[in-house]
Amino acid sequence: MRLFTFQRAAEVSEAIAAAPGAAFLAGGTNLVDLMKIEVLNPERVLDISRLQLREIAVRDGGLQIGALASNTAVAEHEEVRRRAPALSEALLSGASPQLRNSATVGGNLMQRTRCAYYRDLATRCNKRQPGTGCDAIGGWTRMHAILGTSESCIAAHPSDMCVALYALDAAVRVRGPSGERELPVSDLHLLPGDHPEMEFALGPSDLIVSVRVPLNDLAARSRYVKVRDRQSYAFALASCAAAVQAPGGVVRLARFALGGVGTKPWRVPQAESWMQGRPASRETFTRAAEMALQGARPHRDNAFKVELAKRTAVRALMLSAGAQA
Amino acid sequence: MELPRGPCLLAFCASQPRLEEAFRAELRGLGAPLLALWPSGGILLGADDEPIHVPPQPELWRLHGAGSAALTAVLLDDRHRVRLRREAPEAEATLLAAVREAGRAVRSAPRGVGRRELLVNSLAVALGIAVLQACASSRPRLATGVASAGPGVIDVNLIVNGEKRTLSVEPRVVLLDALRENLGLTGAKKGCDMGQCGACTVLVEGQRVNSCLKLVAQLEGASVTTIEGLARGAELHPMQQAFLDEDALQCGYCTPGQILSAVALLQEGKPADDDEIRERMSGNLCRCGAYPNILAAIKSVAGMGH
Repeated sequence: MRLFTFQRAAEVSEAIAAAPGAAFLAGGTNLVDLMKIEVLNPERVLDISRLQLREIAVRDGGLQIGALASNTAVAEHEEVRRRAPALSEALLSGASPQLRNSATVGGNLMQRTRCAYYRDLATRCNKRQPGTGCDAIGGWTRMHAILGTSESCIAAHPSDMCVALYALDAAVRVRGPSGERELPVSDLHLLPGDHPEMEFALGPSDLIVSVRVPLNDLAARSRYVKVRDRQSYAFALASCAAAVQAPGGVVRLARFALGGVGTKPWRVPQAESWMQGRPASRETFTRAAEMALQGARPHRDNAFKVELAKRTAVRALMLSAGAQA
Repeated sequence: MELPRGPCLLAFCASQPRLEEAFRAELRGLGAPLLALWPSGGILLGADDEPIHVPPQPELWRLHGAGSAALTAVLLDDRHRVRLRREAPEAEATLLAAVREAGRAVRSAPRGVGRRELLVNSLAVALGIAVLQACASSRPRLATGVASAGPGVIDVNLIVNGEKRTLSVEPRVVLLDALRENLGLTGAKKGCDMGQCGACTVLVEGQRVNSCLKLVAQLEGASVTTIEGLARGAELHPMQQAFLDEDALQCGYCTPGQILSAVALLQEGKPADDDEIRERMSGNLCRCGAYPNILAAIKSVAGMGH
């Protein structure tokens, strides 16, 4: 790890004032890892782990989760388990208990890709070193994205939690020098395009302070399904957070987001609205999943993900709808 | 030029080193010649002879890829094959330490051991250590150069196994290294060093974490429990005893992490069945595959029977 200056913020305003040029450090499970392998080399590290941003509360019909709440705290929270089960399931399907104890919601939103080329200084990577090229394209691509890719980058988004937050229509509260604002979580992550190094719709002084998850009947029915190379403690080959309301067997409202297949969590609103008014059946869900996978561009080692993602989506939609899987 | 016969140490120095009489005495005691070179010349220090000045040796610099460090030391064996090549940020003290330590080892070796091989081995070990130490002691200088706006070494107070400890570490030091290197608590093991294997698991504020991914700088005032702090005097923690009783290990390298993780698991809540234990222990890998007995040990402490 390279040398850096260490600073600690006691107040949110202090953190924002000191932010430009520094890396925010919370749980450290992602940042310290990437600093050890010298993929990220901040000259200043700003410890925000002592800020008062840990609260998890139900407020105004929504779940408000402080950015520093740990993955464990959120996953085990009674209201989360009961009223937004996909979020709890997604968190518990990710990493290990040790990592979940340290990892935070804010850090998870900012989690960097696990692309093996991004993490390997011996290779070319447009995300790590803009303009150098991409050795993943034409390389070993089993873990890479098939949706939202570009000529510059095919790195998959690694987070489970974010997939659930996308399906739950969560919003992210950000504080910057000019005050606080809220953006849909799906606007936080940028597609790689020609600039895969630009990953977040955040300014240099912006700090994520909380996440808001609307609580409703749909959220209470949400489920998360994850498929991976081993039964536990692995990143997703494909995953899906789904929520279906289907009184009398007819879809009234449905949402789903895919993980492990996109350069960001993948949601296709047309596929969701197409299900409305149709029977909550395997046929309906299969067609919706096919619509969501339209435009998938697999590479040499990940063509299987097209079918796997469809089946994962169907499984999650069936689970949420309470239909026979 | 022709190198002296037998084992020989080459030292490529960025500037002419001052090799004082003390150094020459060590070298004579060791009985190996040293060819010290700097860009504009060099000197050959034989075991017995007077120093011989030599002209610049550009082909030797090229051959051994020297020139980028303050010292590039190359150890040649009796057939002039490269035995060891090391770079260090400092030349004189590093060479003196290496020659002195090698001399000590050679003198204390039993008679009858092949002398040339002993000499080369001793020099290789001593040189390796001297270079490591030279690299380690040069770090604070780098710190003030690179991180000009901030502190080099900082003090952090921790409560480790119930005892108050103050650590003086660079901000980049992780808890695992501080426990092992600064406090001598080597129970927490360095497996993958990237948060994937769980061998470094310790409890921070009662929660299990990967100590390889925790910066000490973040932990001011925190309480840390390592495997060394689990027993009460001579009485093992029930989980330690269960691991012994159930033979829940083979090589033992992952065991401290497994035990701490298992202790935390039961504190977090009683598992419903075997599968839940397996899932909740998934952050601790065992390369020997002692999983069935680890499971049995945890079940016995949890009162889940066999």
